[in-house]
Amino acid sequence: MKDWRHSITLRLSLAFALLATLVFAALGIYFSRAADAHMAELDAHDLFGKLALIGHVGAQEKSAEAFAARLGDALTGQNGLIVTVNGGSGPVFKWPTPQLAEALAAAQVALGSAPRRLALGDAEYRVMAADMESAWGQAVHVVIARDMRHHTDFLDQLQVDFRFAILAAALLTAIVGALAVRHGLHPVRDMARAAGRISAGQLAKRIPEQKVPPELAELVTAFNAMLGRLEESFQRLSDFSADLAHELRTPIHSLRMQTEVSLSKARHADEYRDLLASNLEEYERLARIIADMLLLAKADHGLLVPQAEPLALIPLCERLIEYYGLLAENVNIQLVGDEIAVQGDRLMLERAIGNVLVNAIHHTPAAGAIVVKIEAVGDMAEIAIANTGKAIAADARLRVFDRFVRLDSGSEGTGLGLAIARSIVLAHRGEIAVRLSGQATEFYMRLPLAAGLLTN
Amino acid sequence: MKILIVEDETKTGDYLKQGLGEAGFSADLVRNGLDGMHEGLAGEYDLLILDVNLPGLDGWQVLKALRAAGRDFPVLFLTARDQVEDRVKGLELGADDYLVKPFAFSELLARVRTLLRRGRAREAEGLSLADLELDVLKRRATRAGQRIDLTAKEFALLELFLRRQGEVLARSFIASQVWDMNFDSDTNVVEVAIRRLRAKVDDDFSPKLIHTLRGMGYVMEIR
Repeated sequence: MKDWRHSITLRLSLAFALLATLVFAALGIYFSRAADAHMAELDAHDLFGKLALIGHVGAQEKSAEAFAARLGDALTGQNGLIVTVNGGSGPVFKWPTPQLAEALAAAQVALGSAPRRLALGDAEYRVMAADMESAWGQAVHVVIARDMRHHTDFLDQLQVDFRFAILAAALLTAIVGALAVRHGLHPVRDMARAAGRISAGQLAKRIPEQKVPPELAELVTAFNAMLGRLEESFQRLSDFSADLAHELRTPIHSLRMQTEVSLSKARHADEYRDLLASNLEEYERLARIIADMLLLAKADHGLLVPQAEPLALIPLCERLIEYYGLLAENVNIQLVGDEIAVQGDRLMLERAIGNVLVNAIHHTPAAGAIVVKIEAVGDMAEIAIANTGKAIAADARLRVFDRFVRLDSGSEGTGLGLAIARSIVLAHRGEIAVRLSGQATEFYMRLPLAAGLLTN
Repeated sequence: MKILIVEDETKTGDYLKQGLGEAGFSADLVRNGLDGMHEGLAGEYDLLILDVNLPGLDGWQVLKALRAAGRDFPVLFLTARDQVEDRVKGLELGADDYLVKPFAFSELLARVRTLLRRGRAREAEGLSLADLELDVLKRRATRAGQRIDLTAKEFALLELFLRRQGEVLARSFIASQVWDMNFDSDTNVVEVAIRRLRAKVDDDFSPKLIHTLRGMGYVMEIR
């Protein structure tokens, strides 16, 4: 089940929408502030103009009546304006209706140089009050109010429009964002399709790196590298299976031939005995290959769990040299080194070191020499087995530990000895490799030192 | 000597019975755990050869039941799984030895003889066959009165042969007994060792005492 909360498209779309909302809201707030300020300026301008007009008329007309009549004329057609003028003896002028003018007069607007806001009834006004001299000799108090409805309506409408705009912008950016993200993720889907097409039989396929956007190049490179490694180990596995089939088939084939030929006519009892004995040898060989394969398979799956006991290396190697030395009559095997101990499984390590030793013996010419050297290297013990004789070629040095690799054709054994040695050493968290030491080929194993050196 | 074999694989069971019979033992064969338990409880046996993987009652249960009932004859168990836990479990339950399939029959025979010999009187220090004599205490070997110089391992090998006269000794058994090499190695070290021993013990003398049984191992006897 897909969890949509983790969808990149959804998350990016929401982020785009949120961003659009924030930007538009900020813009809206800025615009409505600016518009508001502009309206206030316009109103103030208007109010100052009207005051100047009233002052002008008052300075010309010689009577209050004439003043009222002329001002009424001048103000005709002015909507949303309330004017009240009071002389010392009472109201001189009320505009546009006596009720509105009296309501304004009752509001007791203080004198001031800037307009103020005032609510009258259900409308809002900007108001100013001023005292001035008149031509007829009376001081008059003028209060004027400008209806703001016209402006607030405009601002309200602007806000409504902005909300719609924000909503639309959010929706639009979300949709466009989703489309863009989908489009942007196209290479990822291509990769997924490419990956989906790759099966065990087509591990050689790779995702083309040229067509991929730079942001994904690293991923594609890593993915292709993984495919490379998979291909390599898969190849090794299938080579191994083929080799295994071959290794098992060959003895079974010869067993079958031998038995069939022998059974094809009556023979002397000695011949049957020979056949059975020869068969027995092949069975033993088969059983050994299978046991070795099982051990390697176990090691591959991490099931080879060594016991951990301290093992003194000198006596262990002495025993191995005494035993396997029987195979090397004309070879001088020398054991040198320090009295150190490793932590490990006796049976397994005897087998690993023994296999490496046997390998060295097989590759040492008559009158050659083998040196087994034991020394501590950091917190590891190194067992190095060097033999004279033909050096192993550099490319072969990497393959010697592979299964069924026999460097010289015709050598006996299952071809699993060094592979087993490697598996055992690795199971001990050690390392094993081969190097050249002067003219000699030298195999070396490093195994964790036991805590504290043992002297026996 | 009576041996009980509990083994469900038909061929393995039949050949075990035949092989042990021909080696001079009287062997009974049952093919499942329940029969094995009943036979083991009822009969008088000197040794039990027990396959672990059995239908019904498995080998461990049979072993447990027999030991619980006070049957203390030696038990050699056979397992196809080479797992340390299996071996430990078997020995903890009171088995005396084990073999991992596939094994050499001569190896089985050698172990059976070892188990049956256990607890009997200590063997003589002097060992001999024909005119070959071995003084285990003095570490001296002579043939026809002539002193033979042997290395320590050669002496141990010869002693093993003399103690096991007439028995076929598998190479893996020899490697384990003489050199304490307890893993199957595909080298012919034992062959080389026997060749050298023969050169000292048999080559200049008659009759020949060490014989090769191709595919099976070696035997010391007068033929």
